[in-house]
Amino acid sequence: MMNSYILLKEDLPKFIKELIDKYKVFAPVDDNDVTLFKEIKNPKEMNLKYNNSKLPPKSLLFCQTETLFKFTPGTKGKIQSPGIDNGKKAVFGIRPCDAKSFSIIDPVFKEDFEDPFYLSKRENLLLVGLSCTNPYSNCFCTSFKDSPASSKYVDILLTDIGNKYFVEVNGDKGKQIVKSKLFKPAAKTDEDKKNEVEKKAKDQIIRYQKTDGIAEKLDKIFENHFWKEVADKCLRCGACTYLCPTCHCFDIQDEATMTDGARVRIWDTCMIPEYTLQASGYNPRPERMNRMRNRVYHKYNYYPKNLGVIACVGCGRCIDNCPVNIDIIDVVNRAGEVKP
Amino acid sequence: MVDENLLQDAVKKTVARKDVKYVVGYDKGTTGFQAAPTFAFEEKDADKFIFSPICVNNLAVYPILEDKPPLRRGEEPDSRKIGIVLKGCDSRAIVQIIQEKGLKREDVVIIGIPCTGVVDPKKLKNRFPGQIKSLEIKDENDNFIVTVDGKTQNISKDELMPDKCKECEYPTPIIYDILIGKEIKGLKKPNYKEIEELEKKSLDEKWKIWEKEFDRCIRCYACRNACPMCYCKECMVDILDPQWVRRSVNLSENTAWNMLRAFHLAGRCIGCGECERACPMDIPLMKLNKKITKDIQEMYDYKAGIDAEAKPLLAMFKPDDPEEFIL
Amino acid sequence: MKEKFEPNIIGFLCNWCSYAGADLAGTSRIQYPPNLKVIRVMCSGRVNPIFVINALQQGADGVLIGGCHPGDCHYERGNYLARRRMAVLKNMLEYAGIDPRRVRMTWVSAAEGNKFAEVVTEVTEDIKKLGPMQHFRRENKW
Repeated sequence: MMNSYILLKEDLPKFIKELIDKYKVFAPVDDNDVTLFKEIKNPKEMNLKYNNSKLPPKSLLFCQTETLFKFTPGTKGKIQSPGIDNGKKAVFGIRPCDAKSFSIIDPVFKEDFEDPFYLSKRENLLLVGLSCTNPYSNCFCTSFKDSPASSKYVDILLTDIGNKYFVEVNGDKGKQIVKSKLFKPAAKTDEDKKNEVEKKAKDQIIRYQKTDGIAEKLDKIFENHFWKEVADKCLRCGACTYLCPTCHCFDIQDEATMTDGARVRIWDTCMIPEYTLQASGYNPRPERMNRMRNRVYHKYNYYPKNLGVIACVGCGRCIDNCPVNIDIIDVVNRAGEVKP
Repeated sequence: MVDENLLQDAVKKTVARKDVKYVVGYDKGTTGFQAAPTFAFEEKDADKFIFSPICVNNLAVYPILEDKPPLRRGEEPDSRKIGIVLKGCDSRAIVQIIQEKGLKREDVVIIGIPCTGVVDPKKLKNRFPGQIKSLEIKDENDNFIVTVDGKTQNISKDELMPDKCKECEYPTPIIYDILIGKEIKGLKKPNYKEIEELEKKSLDEKWKIWEKEFDRCIRCYACRNACPMCYCKECMVDILDPQWVRRSVNLSENTAWNMLRAFHLAGRCIGCGECERACPMDIPLMKLNKKITKDIQEMYDYKAGIDAEAKPLLAMFKPDDPEEFIL
Repeated sequence: MKEKFEPNIIGFLCNWCSYAGADLAGTSRIQYPPNLKVIRVMCSGRVNPIFVINALQQGADGVLIGGCHPGDCHYERGNYLARRRMAVLKNMLEYAGIDPRRVRMTWVSAAEGNKFAEVVTEVTEDIKKLGPMQHFRRENKW
C-alpha cells in the first residue's frame, strides 16, 4: 500500500528550495527551445511546460565523458586511483519512462562487474518523478504495460491534478522526503482525480507496438530479407542511439599530453561502421543492415533473453528525431508479421 | 503541384532498365510530418512513390552511402546504375560530387523534380503540437494547404518553409535524365542578412553566441552522417594515430569538430540543410556553412554544385587571389 | 613583479623558402623574439587547417604559416592553394569570435633573413597585445 499525499502548486518552489538545500538538483530547463536536464540553483530556472526532454537524464548516471583514472605518461609514470563521485543529487521532473530506463540498464553495470562510477551515482540519485499529462504523438509506454503516471521506478511521483500535485511514495528514500511539512495527506477525491488524469493520458496514447512473444518471433527471422529493406534508408547518423534512454554502449580512450593524461569512457554508437571494426580491418557488421538488425535484436531479443525485460521504454525520441523516418513501432510490428 | 502519376511512370521506366539497380524516392512516412526515403527494386514498387511538400530529405546521400561489403572470390561488384529522385537543391549535391570525381555521371539516373518549396518538419511540429492522427499537405502558389485531423487551413509558405527554400535559386534540377513537369525559373536570390548581422557584432559577442551552441553539441556526428558531401572513407575525427580531435565531449573538442567540418565543406556545401535537420540538439549549423558560402562567392566568385566540369574551389587558384592578409 | 605575457607561437615554415630564410636569419645573427616554435613542413600547401586548430587547442597563442612567394613554390602551386585555404580559415575563425590576427601567413624567401626576423617581431608584438588565447583551449583537467 503506497502512501499518498498532496502538494499545493504554490508550495512547489518551496519544495524545490528544500531539495536544493540538501541535494544538487537537476530539473528541466529551457535552452533555446530545447528542454534539457540541467543543474538549477533556483526554482525559477525550471520550465515545466514540456512533454519530455530532448536528451534523456541517463547522463546523470552514465556520463558521456567519464574519467576512469588519471596517469602520468612515460616509463616512470604513475596511475592515480579513480575519483568516485558520492555527492547527493536529485532529479526533479523525470518522466516514468526515463525512470524505468534506469532500472533497465542497472544490470549492465551490476551483474558481471560492479561499475563504481555508475553505482555510486545511482545510489545517491533521488528520483522525483512528474507524470505525463499530455503524451507526445510518438509516445508508446503503454505498449509495455506501463503508464505515463506510474510510480514504480521513482522515489516519489507528482501528478498534476489541477491546483495541486498528487504525491505517491515508493520506498524509503521517498518516505524521508515526504516528512516535510509541505506534504499533506491526500483525500479519496484526490486519488480519484489522479486516476482520472492517468486514464486520460493513457487514452491519449494511440500508437501501439505489438511486443507479445517478440523475442521468439525475432529468433526465427534473423536471416530474413526484411532487415535489408528496413535498413536501406538508414543514414547511420547515430542520432537514435544518443537520444535513447536505454542505449549504453561505450568506448574507452586514453588522452594525454606530455605531462599528464587520463583514461576516459565515452558514449559509442552501434550505427556507425567503426562499431565492430577490428584491428585487422575485418568488420563483422559491414553493412547498415547488420547494424540496424543488431540494434533491434539487442533491445527486443538479446536483452529480454538475458535479463528478462525489453530494453525499450516507449519514449519515442528515436522516432521524433530520425531524419529518414525509421519508426521503431512500425519496424517491430512488421517484424512480428514476417513469415519465417 | 507535381503529377505523381508521371513520377511513378518515370520510376517504372527507370527500374525496368536492365542497367539500373534500384530507384530511391519518397514515400508517405509513418508520422505525416516528413516523407521517408523509399526504394524501388521492381516496377510494382513504384506505386508507393509520392512527391508533396513533406519531401524535405536530400536523397543525393544514397549513392555514396552504398555499403560495399567485401566480395567473395570470383564475385564481381554490382556496377549497375542508381536512380534518384532529386529536387533542384539536391541535384547540386550530385553535380558537386561529380565535379570532385566521387561519382561518374553514368553511375546515376536522375529523375528531376521542379520544386516549389517544401515544409520544415520542425516548424510544422511547432505549429501543430500534441497528438495528430492524420496530416496532409498540398502546395498551391504561395500557400500550403494543410489538412490536420480533417480540418483544412491555408498557411503561407513563408511560415513553414525552411530558410533554404526562401532563397532558392535552382528550383529545377541542374542535371536530370527525366524531368517531371516543366522547368521553373529560379527568381529568388540568396539572403545573407542574418550572416551580415552576426558579422557586425564584436568578437566577444560572437564567441559568446557560438560557445553556447558548441557547448550543446553531443558529438553524435549526425550532421556528418546525414551530409551528402561527407563521404571520406576515414573521417578526420576517426583517425587515432595521430588523434587530432579527441573523442571526449567538451567545449574545446566540440569547437574544433564543428569548425573543421564547416571548413571541409568550404566550396562544397550546397546548402541543403540536412545537417541542421538531423542535429538532435538544434544547433544552427547552416549559419556557419552559409558564412563560408558567402565568403567564397565574394572572394573567388565560386558557387558549389553548379558546373560539373569546373575545378573544385580549393584545388585550384588564380594568380590574383586576394592576399592582403599576407605579410 | 607581474610576469609579462610571453606568447607561444607555432610556425609552420616551408622547407625550401621560409625555413631557409629563418636559417639565414640565424646564421646572420639577427636578433628576433624567441617566441616562435618552428615546425618544418615541405610546403606551405601541406598545412591543413586541422593543424592550426589543433595548435590553438593545445596552447598556442598564435600560428604563423610561412611559404614561398607566389610563382616560386618548389612544387609549383602549393603556396597558391595554401593562400586560398588560409583566407577561408581566417574569415571563418573571425566569424566564430576568434581574433584573425592570431593566424598569420607570410611569404619569405630563402634570401630574406631580415624579412623573416621582422615578420616574427611584428607577429609576436601583435599577439602580445592580444593576450593569451583562452577560447577553446584544452583544459586537460579530466
